Amino acid sequence: MASYYDIDDILAEEEMVPAVFLQTANEVGIFDCADDTNKVEAGTHVEMPFWLAQELYVRQAVLIKVPPYFDIKAKTRNEIGADAAHVDLRSLCPYFYNFGCKIAHLIGEKTIGPLLLIAFRTRYREVLIKAHTAASIVAPKHLTLLTKEETKLYEAGQSSTAAFKKWRMGGPRLQKASVLGRKRKPVE
Amino acid sequence: MANQSDNSIAFSAEELEFLAEDEIVEIVPNMRMEPLNLISGDFGPFRPQIAAQVPLWLAVALKKRGKCTIRPPEWMSVEKLTQVLEAERDSEKFQLLPFHYVEISRLLFDHAREDIPDIYMVRSLIEDIKDVRFHKIGTGLEIISKEVTYALRLKNLSAMEANIVRPFVTKALQTFHKLNTSEAIPESGSVPNRQHQAMNPRDKRVLKGR
Repeated sequence: MASYYDIDDILAEEEMVPAVFLQTANEVGIFDCADDTNKVEAGTHVEMPFWLAQELYVRQAVLIKVPPYFDIKAKTRNEIGADAAHVDLRSLCPYFYNFGCKIAHLIGEKTIGPLLLIAFRTRYREVLIKAHTAASIVAPKHLTLLTKEETKLYEAGQSSTAAFKKWRMGGPRLQKASVLGRKRKPVE
Repeated sequence: MANQSDNSIAFSAEELEFLAEDEIVEIVPNMRMEPLNLISGDFGPFRPQIAAQVPLWLAVALKKRGKCTIRPPEWMSVEKLTQVLEAERDSEKFQLLPFHYVEISRLLFDHAREDIPDIYMVRSLIEDIKDVRFHKIGTGLEIISKEVTYALRLKNLSAMEANIVRPFVTKALQTFHKLNTSEAIPESGSVPNRQHQAMNPRDKRVLKGR
């Protein structure tokens, strides 16, 4: 599914992850601007985008930590266990599932996969009901809780239902081309 | 390719209507005409008061010109539809209806209003049947979230119904598949193993009401 041209895949990798430098690195002072030396000491905790952390991790330059919302002891995990449908995943991470899969893959964290699955299972049911029953623009509050992936799913269901309703209502079968009915500009 | 929305997998309702127009219906012409030799087959000859089998699009075209009356298909009678509706409510399976029943009924209601006996009754019955079936689809789709699902069997689902849920279901199945496989083992070297899992036919679920 991951595709080089998939914009969502790219954006998901923008997510920040906490990482620890294992080696002293020069010329990367932007991470830790305490002084003019423009370098990061080994053992410094920094936040960096996932795409960068991934490359450094492969080269064993950094150690990636799990972001707080995937942490085994964090309260998000309990919240998801209690009622995943009402957790505001979007504000935690707009690409919760995509990013979760990526990070789990990279660092071999086995607890993330089940968490994602449980979260999506519960939330899927909400999306299913809302997408096919609610008239459009009924549940804006619900929508703000959805991650990007879920919003897409919702929109897919919603738009096909809406298209069907429109077809059934009938109305004009032939649409006027936008060129027609325009007034001709007076020639000066 | 990259930016194409997945909605383009589905047909539009108008396209389905177009496909449905190839279904055969019976008409009673009131004019005399030579047989029509079309690529899809020969239709006619047309003699006044002698019934003929033609595709729906031709029937509608003739009807618009006042050259025929359309005989509503057998399943569009009040008795048949009442039976179907009852069975639909009682059973959790989908009843057998023509693949394009939504489109055909809509076309006939639009163009051959006076040829259908008890049109109000028929119309509301079909509406009811449709609603019951949609509800069933909704409850049926919940099952995806309960068990590991890789495929759905949609027996007797009509074209329009399948088309409406298609974008949603394919997306949902994709996501579930992704999460299921990533749950398995996130270590490298496990790829062949995962593919094997996905092929397992035992994991196929039947879509039905609960």
